Amino acid sequence: MELRLEGISHRYDALTVLEDISLTVEEGETLALIGPSGCGKSTLLGILGGLLQPSAGRVVATGAVPANCLNHVTYVFQDFALLPWRSVADNVSLALEHHPLSTSERHERIAEVLQRTGLNDFAAAFPAQLSGGMRQRVGIARALAVMPAVLLMDEPLSALDAQTRDLLMEDFLDLWVRERTTAVYVTHNLNEALRLADKVAVLSRRPGRLREIVPLTIPQAERGSAAALTELARLHDHLWGLIKDEARTAEREVADV
Amino acid sequence: MSETGQRTDAIRFRGGGFAPGQRRGPAILVFAALIAVWQGGSSLGWINPLFLPSPMNIGEALYAVAASGELWRHVTASLGRILGGWALGTFAGLALGTAMGLFTLARSIGLPLVSAIFPVPKIALLPLFILWFGIGEPSKLATIALGVFFPTAINCYSGIDGVARNLIRMAQSFDLPPRDIVRKVVLPGAMPTIIAGFRISSSVALILVVAAEMIGAEYGLGAFVLQAGHLMATDQLLAGVVCLSILGLMFGAGITAVEKRLLRWR
Repeated sequence: MELRLEGISHRYDALTVLEDISLTVEEGETLALIGPSGCGKSTLLGILGGLLQPSAGRVVATGAVPANCLNHVTYVFQDFALLPWRSVADNVSLALEHHPLSTSERHERIAEVLQRTGLNDFAAAFPAQLSGGMRQRVGIARALAVMPAVLLMDEPLSALDAQTRDLLMEDFLDLWVRERTTAVYVTHNLNEALRLADKVAVLSRRPGRLREIVPLTIPQAERGSAAALTELARLHDHLWGLIKDEARTAEREVADV
Repeated sequence: MSETGQRTDAIRFRGGGFAPGQRRGPAILVFAALIAVWQGGSSLGWINPLFLPSPMNIGEALYAVAASGELWRHVTASLGRILGGWALGTFAGLALGTAMGLFTLARSIGLPLVSAIFPVPKIALLPLFILWFGIGEPSKLATIALGVFFPTAINCYSGIDGVARNLIRMAQSFDLPPRDIVRKVVLPGAMPTIIAGFRISSSVALILVVAAEMIGAEYGLGAFVLQAGHLMATDQLLAGVVCLSILGLMFGAGITAVEKRLLRWR
């Protein structure tokens, strides 16, 4: 499925957060959305999935939807958003229960996504018993269980430690990048963007405008190779150059709201 | 003190304390000691048994009313009123609290209303209820129900209000119907606060049943205590008080059990 943003602007009262953002996330593509803190990345992601109403503009989804898809546009949250009173399997089940699936179909789906995310042995555990990385795996399993056409991820790794982050990033590549699920990945971590994305969209400081779209032509699988490293380092410097000054200003800014 | 300022010291541990735990032993010991001192004072004749009967006297009085079957009648009468009034008040309180937690209109009307009526001592309204409902059971049930209603409504409301927004947004992002969001996300999320409210409301019910039974009741622990007071039967009076204390402990234990079951995930 393809997502087209047409002239998205958003204001909170007098504060303009996003200004006239138009961009297309193509079928099967992973778009990383980066920018200095407070640039409205998360707001934009909220608008993309219909959790926020933009002040102007609209988001259009077109194209084929996977068979058995239950929720076209599906989120993975930064803070995991797991129900603490439900076990791992029941948290995944929550996304399925209101759909007309037979009990056995539902159980099959749950078992399958738990298998894929390496949570087999944790089906009966409660979120409080799991590490941060494991909790985010549950969040991902829940998202995969509805067979989404588009995955929206709001800094899914930023609540985790660096080691867990690297491990999960590799799993991400297996779980959706190679399956070519359309995805939008919000992050402030350039390395995550450069590891996972097909295309990096850079937003400016508030009010967030689209500054540049940087395509990454090296396939994800080859990004670990020595040949790719120089090119990725160049891209890293380029992206960092785009946001560095603004990040510094944003960091020194006294919140006026 | 050395002139070079060089020293070799083990680092002193200074992170202790401020971590109170709870043990059963000291509590039992202090309880036993208090009762022993009380009994000793009575046996030695230091305490006038008319003003404060000894623990043994109270035990005997308790045994006597229990053996005659009279106690059972009083306890069941009180329990019936507590359960009836508590159930009524809890049901209504949960309904209003949920509405206030979910809807702007209910919240806008409900909050000031609750704030205005909550501080009124409910027992002050008992005479009014007697006028409305007569001297029998309904006026007593109404008093207890009203007393239970407010803390329940407030706890239910603030519990729902405190449910993490991100969980609700998550449920919306998976297109859960509103009814399911309330049933599977909002109410379970508010459950710890709601159950904490039960602790308050059960004590309120116990207080109000005694007060209500002191006005025009033939049976009930409140009536029993009042009668004993009129007859200067202080041993019976305190036997009734012991029963009330045991009832309160039982409610507390019951709620703890419910908590353990429903809030296992914590």
